[in-house]
Amino acid sequence: MTRYVLGRLLFALPIFLGVVTIVFAIVRVLPGDPAQAALGDYASGDAVAALRQRLGLDRPIALQYVGYVVGLARGDLGRSLINGGLVRDEVAHNLPYTLQLTVVALAIGTLVGVPAGVCGALTFNRLPDSIGRVASLFGLSIPAYYLGILLILLFAIQLRAFPAVGAGELASPADVLRHLILPAATLGLVMAATVTRFTRSAVLNTLGQDFVRTARAKGLPRHLVTVRHTLRASLIPIVSLAGLWSIGLIGDSVTTEIVFARPGLGSMMVGAMLQRDYTSLQSVMVVYTGFVIVINLATDIAYGFVDPRIRY
Amino acid sequence: MVRRGRRSKRNGSRRHTAVTRRRFLSRAVGIAAAGAVAGASPLFIASRSRAAAANALRFGQSEADLGTADPHYAAGTQDRALVDMVFNGLLRFKPGDGSGFEPDLAVDFPKPAVIAGKQVWTFRLRKGVLWHRSEKVPPYELTSEDVVYSLQKSADKARSAYSGLYTGMTFQALDAYSVGIVLDSPMSANLFYPLVTNYAGGFIMAKRAVEAYGLEGVKTRPVGTGPFTLGRYDPKERVELLPHVQYMRGHPKLDGVDYRYMSDAFSRELGLRGGQLDGISGQQDEAWVDKIQALSNLRLDIFGVGESTVIYMNQTVPQLRRKEVRQAIAYALDRDEFLALIGPKVGRKIYAPLSPFTTGALAEKEVIAKGLDYKINREKAKSLLAEAGVPGGFALDLVTSELKIYKDHYESMQAQLAKVGIQIRLRVVDHPSYHALIRKDTNPLVIYVAFRPTAEIYLRSFYHAASTVVTGAHPDTNFAHYSGVDDLIDKARVETSASAQIELWKEAQVKILQDMVAYPISYANQVYARSTAVDYGHPLKSVLALYPGIDETTRVRRG
Repeated sequence: MTRYVLGRLLFALPIFLGVVTIVFAIVRVLPGDPAQAALGDYASGDAVAALRQRLGLDRPIALQYVGYVVGLARGDLGRSLINGGLVRDEVAHNLPYTLQLTVVALAIGTLVGVPAGVCGALTFNRLPDSIGRVASLFGLSIPAYYLGILLILLFAIQLRAFPAVGAGELASPADVLRHLILPAATLGLVMAATVTRFTRSAVLNTLGQDFVRTARAKGLPRHLVTVRHTLRASLIPIVSLAGLWSIGLIGDSVTTEIVFARPGLGSMMVGAMLQRDYTSLQSVMVVYTGFVIVINLATDIAYGFVDPRIRY
Repeated sequence: MVRRGRRSKRNGSRRHTAVTRRRFLSRAVGIAAAGAVAGASPLFIASRSRAAAANALRFGQSEADLGTADPHYAAGTQDRALVDMVFNGLLRFKPGDGSGFEPDLAVDFPKPAVIAGKQVWTFRLRKGVLWHRSEKVPPYELTSEDVVYSLQKSADKARSAYSGLYTGMTFQALDAYSVGIVLDSPMSANLFYPLVTNYAGGFIMAKRAVEAYGLEGVKTRPVGTGPFTLGRYDPKERVELLPHVQYMRGHPKLDGVDYRYMSDAFSRELGLRGGQLDGISGQQDEAWVDKIQALSNLRLDIFGVGESTVIYMNQTVPQLRRKEVRQAIAYALDRDEFLALIGPKVGRKIYAPLSPFTTGALAEKEVIAKGLDYKINREKAKSLLAEAGVPGGFALDLVTSELKIYKDHYESMQAQLAKVGIQIRLRVVDHPSYHALIRKDTNPLVIYVAFRPTAEIYLRSFYHAASTVVTGAHPDTNFAHYSGVDDLIDKARVETSASAQIELWKEAQVKILQDMVAYPISYANQVYARSTAVDYGHPLKSVLALYPGIDETTRVRRG
C-alpha cells in the first residue's frame, strides 16, 4: 500500500508540472494587460508602461516561467500583481471557505442521495420511487448557480430565513452556519440527484444477486439485508461517484461562491481573472490541480477498503 | 494495510492495528466530519472580530477586488470610492455636488500671486489634523512637510499615474502650516483647484506612512486623514473601514463601513433585497431602474457625474481621411437610438465634445445654432459619401468590449451605418483587451465611455496631438489622431481669465465638430441603490468619485 501511494505521488509530479506549465501558458495567452486592468480605463499609456515594468511583465516569458516554477518548488506562490500581497496568504484565507462549502455539500449530497436511492430501489416502480426519479431528474437538469438563485429568492428574499449573500461574521459560528446552509444546499442537492440515480441503480442490481436472496432465505431482517449485504456491495460505484463529485463540487463552488458572494478559491479565481492577476490565477489553478490529484488518489485507496477484492 | 475483519479477530496482536472495512467507513465518516470542522475552524477563530457593528454601513461595490489604495494610482471606481473615504485634499468638492469647491485640509481658498514672474498659490493648513493610526506609524499631526511630500509624489512619474497634470509645478513648505505651489505657467482657478482637491493626485498622503510601508505597501495599507481608517483588508472579499475618531470634522456617525467587492450585479441586488447590504452600485439600465423603483423598501439614486459616450474617428485611416465621410457617418447616426439603449432615466443626449456639466462645455443650443448637431439625415449622409467618392459605402473591422454598454453601442452603430452602406465587422473581446487594442490603433471608429474632471484634461487627453495613441509624445486617448485644436488647448491652459479660457475651450469644441473627428452621443449617470435606512448626509447631484460619497455625516438606521 505504501509503495502504491508513493508511486502514485511520484507519478503525480510530472502531471503537476505539466499542468503548471499549461496554466502558465494559458494565463499569458489570455488577452488583456494586468497593468491596464490595475490602472483602469483612464490611465495614460505612460502610466501603464511604467507599471508593466514595475510588475516585471516586460521580462521575457521564459524568465517569468522559470521564476514561477522555482518559487513554486520553494512553496512560494508569489505576490499578487494587483495588490502586491502574498498569494499564499490569500489562498490560506480563502481555502477554508471553499473546503467548508464543499465538505458540507458533499455530506448533504451523500446523506440525501444514498437513502433516496436505496428507498427508490426498494420501492421500485411505486410512488416513492417515482417521486425520487422526478426529483433527481429535476436536480440533474438544473445548473447549480440557477438553483442557488431560486433558493435565495425563496428562502432569503421571500421567507427571510437565511442570508442571501456573504459568509457570515467570524465571531459568530451560528452566523457562519446560517450563511453556509443555502450555498451548501445548492451544491449538495444537485449532487444528491446524481447520487440518488447511481445508488438506486447499484442497489437494484445488487438486490437481484444470489447472496442477497440467500440472506433473505436465512430469515435476516429486511434492514440487515439492505444495510449489511445490499448497500455494502453497492458501495463501489457510489465511492467512485463521491470522488468524482468531490472534484465536481470544487468546480461548481466557483459559480456558487459568486452567486452567494462568498469568499473562497472560486471567488479568488474569478477576481484574479477579471483583474488579469496572473500570479493569483495560476496559484488557484495549481491548488485546484493539487486537489484533483489528492482526491483521485484518495478515491483509489478507498476502493481497497470498500471492496475486499481490490488489493494494492 | 488492508485486513479483513475476520482475520484480524483471529490475530490478537494485529487486532488493534488492522483496518477493517467497517472501521474504515466509520473513520471515513469521522474524518469527513473533522474535515468539515477543520475547514470551518479558522472561521470560528475570532482573533480579529469582524462582527459588523450595528451602525456600520454594508456597501456592495461592483468590482472583484481592490486595485490599489494608493490614491495617486487609484483609477477604478472601486478604488476612487475607497480612497475618497480615507484621504483628504487641500480643497474638496462639495459633498454630493462636484460643481463646487470648499476648503478641506486648507483653512481657506488660496489666492494666486505673481512672484519673480511665476504664479504662486499659498495654502494655509488646518492645525491639529491627525493621521490615522497604523501598525508602523503612530498618529501624528499633518504638517506642510506631508503636503509637499505628497504633491511631489503626485508629480513623480515613477510614483503616480497622474504626474502629467503636475508638470511645471514645484512645492515648498513655507512653515509648518503653509505650503506654496509655484507654477512655471500661470493657471486659472478652474484648472488649478481640481489638482489640489480630494481627487486623484490631489489626495494628501502621509510622508511617514509612505516611507514606512513603501509604494507596494500603501497599495493595501492606506493611511490618511479622512473620516474612515483601514480596519482590515481581505483580498477579493472586502475592506473593513473603522471610524477615525479624531477626524477633523468630528466623529463619523457610522461605526464603520463594510466595503464588499461583488462583481456579480445580481448578487449585489439579492444582498440588498435580502437585507445583508445597505447600499450597492447598480446597473445603468432603465429596466433595472424600474425594477428597483418598484420596491418600497429601497431607494434609487441616479446622479452625476455622467460618463460621456463619444465616437472618435481616426482621420488617418484611408476610409475616414475625408471630412465628408466623417460627416456622413455623423448624419447616419441617430442619438435617440443610442439613448434608447440606456434609457432617458439614466442618460441624456449630448451634442458637444465636453459633457454639459463640465465648465466650458458648449451648450446644446449653441451647437444647434451653429448647425453642428448633425441631426440624423441619412439621405444627406449618402450624398456626402457620393461626394467623397464612396457612394456605395465601405467596410471597417472593429473590436468591441464585452461590457454591455460598449457592445450595445457598437451593435447599434453597426446597424445604423449599414443603412448608408457602411458595413462594420465586429469582434467581441474582453474589456481590458479592448482598452489595450484601441490604444494600439486597432479601431478606425472608437467608442469610448469616460469622465474627466476638467475641460483641459478632457480636451488634452482626447484631442491634443501629444495624446495621440501610438504616435503621440505622451500617448493617451487621442484616437482620432487629431491636432487641429492644439493651439487653443495650449492657450487655454495658461489663460488666467476664466471667461476667456471658457471661450477658448468653446472655440476648440466648435472646430472639433466642424472637422467631425468626434461624434458625441450621450452621457450615462451613476446608478446606485440603498435601503431606506441609509442617509448619505447630503443630496446627490454629482460626485466625481462616481459613488454616492460616504463621509462623516452618513448614517444608517436599521430597524
